[in-house]
Amino acid sequence: MNLLDINNLHVKLEDEDRDIIRGLSLTVKPGEVHAIMGPNGSGKSTLSYVLAGRAGYEVTEGSVTFKGEDLLEMSPDERAAKGVFLAFQYPIEIPGVATMQFLKVALNAQRKARGEKELSTPDFMRLVKDRAAKLNVSQDMLKRPVNVGFSGGEKKRAEILQMAVLEPSLCILDETDSGLDIDALRVVADGVNALRSPDRAMIVITHYQRLLDYIVPDFVHVLSKGRIVKSGDKHLALELEEKGYAEFTESAA
Amino acid sequence: MSTALARTAAEEALGFQLPNRRMEDWRWTDLRQLIDKPYPPRQKVEATPADVERLLASSLFSGVAATRMVFVNGEYDAKHSRQANAFVESTAELSDPVNLMNLAFATDGARLRIEGNVDTPIELVFISTDAAARTVATRNVIEIADDASATIIETHLGEGSYLASSVMEIRIGHNARLDRIKVELESHDAVHLAHAHVVVGRNVTFRDFTLTTGARLNRQNGTFRFIGEFADAKVAGAYLLAGKQHADTALIVDHEVPNCASRELFKCVMDDHARGIFQGKVIVRRGAQKTDGKQSSHALLLSETAEFDAKPELEIYADDVACGHGATSGDLNHDHVFYLKSRGIPEAEAKALLIAAFVGEAFDTVHHDGIRTALEDFAARWLSDHRRKG
Ligand SMILES: Nc1ncnc2c1ncn2[C@@H]1O[C@H](COP(=O)(O)OP(=O)(O)OP(=O)(O)O)[C@@H](O)[C@H]1O
Ligand SMILES: [Mg+2]
Repeated sequence: MNLLDINNLHVKLEDEDRDIIRGLSLTVKPGEVHAIMGPNGSGKSTLSYVLAGRAGYEVTEGSVTFKGEDLLEMSPDERAAKGVFLAFQYPIEIPGVATMQFLKVALNAQRKARGEKELSTPDFMRLVKDRAAKLNVSQDMLKRPVNVGFSGGEKKRAEILQMAVLEPSLCILDETDSGLDIDALRVVADGVNALRSPDRAMIVITHYQRLLDYIVPDFVHVLSKGRIVKSGDKHLALELEEKGYAEFTESAA
Repeated sequence: MSTALARTAAEEALGFQLPNRRMEDWRWTDLRQLIDKPYPPRQKVEATPADVERLLASSLFSGVAATRMVFVNGEYDAKHSRQANAFVESTAELSDPVNLMNLAFATDGARLRIEGNVDTPIELVFISTDAAARTVATRNVIEIADDASATIIETHLGEGSYLASSVMEIRIGHNARLDRIKVELESHDAVHLAHAHVVVGRNVTFRDFTLTTGARLNRQNGTFRFIGEFADAKVAGAYLLAGKQHADTALIVDHEVPNCASRELFKCVMDDHARGIFQGKVIVRRGAQKTDGKQSSHALLLSETAEFDAKPELEIYADDVACGHGATSGDLNHDHVFYLKSRGIPEAEAKALLIAAFVGEAFDTVHHDGIRTALEDFAARWLSDHRRKG
């Protein structure tokens, strides 16, 4: 069974008439890694928000099916419990909510929604410590409020830490590589690769071929003006790096 | 409008003219309108030990080791108290309506004198049991000796319909420390009128925190006088209000001498039709140089019908001071809620987390870990508790 089926999706902003996603279709099977590339403003983040369930967008046409169910009918927390995870392009700071507490509440809320037993505090601590060490996330960062005072790169690492703790089945990474230094990029890519498994899929949104050297995709798609205008394998990314988007996007106008 | 000047039924029963909106600092809390039935004073009401114990158990701090002093329906309850009264006298410096009423009607109250370092918190519990509507008044005097330190909790609990009048006179001696924590968890049908008058000596550290969440109508005055140099006071508060609750805090921080620091921080959460008011005035007297006085109030409005008004005032007669105030008001940040939900946290739980985080800043004034944790737990549960009760 397909993990995710996006079929002829049309999305506009709730309070504006402009369509941002204009007839997008994409099928993702378990185990696959899909890269989405495309010019600024082509709708990549919008697509990721619509999949995560952010308010403010209106689906005017098409459907999204996740594990055989209508994803668009679910609230964001239901989607998360079902296995959807979005690593935000711009992770949000939440003053006053400690990172550890946040992770624990999130993990246990998901487990509860799935009818699983909540994790005990010692088991939870062990899990987070293990994942944090692998991603070079310091104990100090874990003690601070969620993302507050984190550098750009620290925020991206913290997103991947959340992903590693929550173990979703669909990981959507929205420009996780932007703002990372070269070493951090490798650490994050290793973290993402460690999560690759036959029953987990990834959608990796990026502007740079470099990330795809580390996280090698099965498919590369070019998004332009809200539509996938070209799909190929990992070589397409190299081609894009060389030639730019112009050749692929002109026909989409 | 001549009829408006005739005594209301409530005023008849009290024999007092209630403050009304024509008085400057009562403009948002017109007691002549808001107190709509008689609460006769000095009624003797017996309570069963079972009632008292049930209410005692509902204190946020029933799990915190503390020396308790219990007042039931305005009278000292020796059976449930482990702390006896001392001989300290009221100096009754104030003559505003809340104070005059309390002076006239108080039937009892705590009298404490603290010497040395008292490590175990003292909890004063004021209980009103379910009976005919009436005024229950206590006048309390606390003296902290020079060099002494203590943590004093004040918990107000009740059932049924009553008007609680509470005045605290507190004198803090030189080099002393007082941590005061007040929780107003009165019956949802109660009126709570209170005044805390605190005289702060030289080199004192004073921490004051008030949680306002129980009564349908709450007015709390605070007056803080700095009479010795190099004292440092933090006065914080949190409102957790829902339904048609109305809470108005009016504080005056009076820097009479130089070199003192004061901070006021109020974090106010209002849901449904609740209304919160914060009035804070900082006075810096002539010659009170190097005063560092700041106040801020922040409101979180959970519904479109909730309301918050802030009136910050600075009255400065010295030139070498650092004073300021700020007030903000807004609803929950939708991006925050979405971020939490996108990690699997259901909406109600996400909001509860954000509310607890919002008021949490005010809880930081509370040093005692057990007390602060009890406050945090209460705040985390508040949203679902009050919405369940409806
Ligand atoms: N909430 C919003 N309000 C107004 N415009 C929006 C909003 N969300 C998206 N847009 C618009 O929709 C278009 C697509 O934006 P989106 O963020 O999805 O692009 P993107 O492909 O992620 O770009 P980038 O590579 O710069 O991250 C842009 O023109 C953007 O301005
Ligand atoms: Mg984007």
